[in-house]
Amino acid sequence: MSVHPAAWMAWAACAGVVAFTTTDPFYLGLLVAIAWFVYATCRVAGPTARSFRVFAIGGLLAMAIRTALVFLGTVDASNVAFAALEGARLAALLIVFGTFNAVTDPFGVVRLAPRRFHEPALAAALALSIAPRTIAGAGRVREAQQLRGIRTARWRGLPALVVPVLESGMEEALTLAESMDARGHGRGPRTRYRPAHWTPGALAVTLSAVLAAGAFLSAAWTGQGGLHPSTSPLAWPAADPYLIAALAMLAVPGVLGAVGKPRA
Amino acid sequence: MRRTRRLAIALAVPALAIAPALLGAATGTEAACAAAATGAPHAALVVDTGSRTTTYCVDLGGGSVSGLRLIQLAADQYGLSYHFGFGGQAVCQLQGVGPSGGDCFGAYPDYWGYWHGTGGGWSWAGSGAASSSVTDGDVEGWSWGAGDSEATHPAPPTLAFDDVCRAAAPPASPTPRPSPAASHPPTGGGASGAQPGRPSGAQAGAQAGAQGNGASRDPTPYPEATGSDGAPRSAGARPGATNTTRSPGASSGADRASDDVVRAVATDGGSSTSSGPPAGAFAVAAAVLILGGGGAWTLRRRGKDDRA
Repeated sequence: MSVHPAAWMAWAACAGVVAFTTTDPFYLGLLVAIAWFVYATCRVAGPTARSFRVFAIGGLLAMAIRTALVFLGTVDASNVAFAALEGARLAALLIVFGTFNAVTDPFGVVRLAPRRFHEPALAAALALSIAPRTIAGAGRVREAQQLRGIRTARWRGLPALVVPVLESGMEEALTLAESMDARGHGRGPRTRYRPAHWTPGALAVTLSAVLAAGAFLSAAWTGQGGLHPSTSPLAWPAADPYLIAALAMLAVPGVLGAVGKPRA
Repeated sequence: MRRTRRLAIALAVPALAIAPALLGAATGTEAACAAAATGAPHAALVVDTGSRTTTYCVDLGGGSVSGLRLIQLAADQYGLSYHFGFGGQAVCQLQGVGPSGGDCFGAYPDYWGYWHGTGGGWSWAGSGAASSSVTDGDVEGWSWGAGDSEATHPAPPTLAFDDVCRAAAPPASPTPRPSPAASHPPTGGGASGAQPGRPSGAQAGAQAGAQGNGASRDPTPYPEATGSDGAPRSAGARPGATNTTRSPGASSGADRASDDVVRAVATDGGSSTSSGPPAGAFAVAAAVLILGGGGAWTLRRRGKDDRA
């Protein structure tokens, strides 16, 4: 199932809003599970699919570092729990972003921008795609160096990995900008080869994601649903059934992807 | 495989780092229990929500404690409900008054002002309650209201240590009962539900650090009693509604009227709270399992398709 890139942007933005409004481990855990499910059912086969794993590891590291910062100050169970929950929020944000990178092509997004905003959109697409491009590039370089008998896993072999990755990253960005210029991108009227269609599925993805984000924003606004569990005293976090139902809305693209055919 | 091991190490490091903190919290609690068994030092805690003032004669359990720890001890001994914010470094909520989130200035300009008793009055605390030191005979005050200085923030009613801790009549009833002024919120606590008289060392559990369990439940050194009937006299009044000294724009932080002071009764450490996960937690756990399994199954199936 192919979903319009704009619908994916809406999904990622709304999932990010949800992650940002809460530190409740129940909601965050469910959000991460949903991101994993959506990744598994909707990922585009190719090198960028790896970005989910990279962002998941990065998220766990961020959580560990955020928690470890507590040990610079007063240490008790409340402080540790508070920092771990803040870190979990950061990890959930990163994992949602990893899912977004794995399920859609960031350059599909730049095509959607109106002509007048071509340059900022191109810059945004380059910035958005830096992580997946670097990850894909690192995979290619590592494979090539292994074929040459260079071990890139060691510290000493690190330059053999990093230098080509940086170089190819620069080159790719330049090539992209030049090729878009050469094709008159942003100047004349545009024709589309394989245009992305706005399907009912894309509409469902967008609406359900907006619904989920709206539920969490209104809960944050009114202070209900226990979005920020008490860590001092330590108490069981809330698990509001309405907010759980709202979170489940974010799994809609995963359900659509599971029943649809896998993409080529 | 090696990557998995590296990840495991990365996760194990913070876990190992946390472990001594939890252990330290637990053992520290047991030490406090042992010290509290004999005639222990006490401090007076005065909590003024604006409509009602409650006093607590808190058993310090040996040595000096921080202002925050004093509140935790009052919660254990009298069931004072509280909530700390800013990473557990500040007081957000006392007796259900104040913001419930992590931002203790969520209801600004109203917030909990922190005072030290000077014998005949109050002085505005110059440092936070996390770093203050409370010793035997000290008086600590918390008042809800607006104002950023000693001159503008309403001070609690003038009360000396003896008013709170020594001038008490014998308990009206021999068994401790929960004070109406100090009930836990339904979701708060996760308390251990220990019975009075039980060896309190048994409570040193996983939540010991945050709960600050383990102070003596023995009220005999300083017997407590309520006023005439034990009920708050102006219960239900909103802050500022009945108290004449709280008129907005009052030039000085005059002490509030002390005619509605309620003395807290020693109570079992929060047996009224429900401990255990909320019902929705099981729905979340089931959903996580289904989504995780469904995702893994999809990946496996697609992986076979790709190879085929």
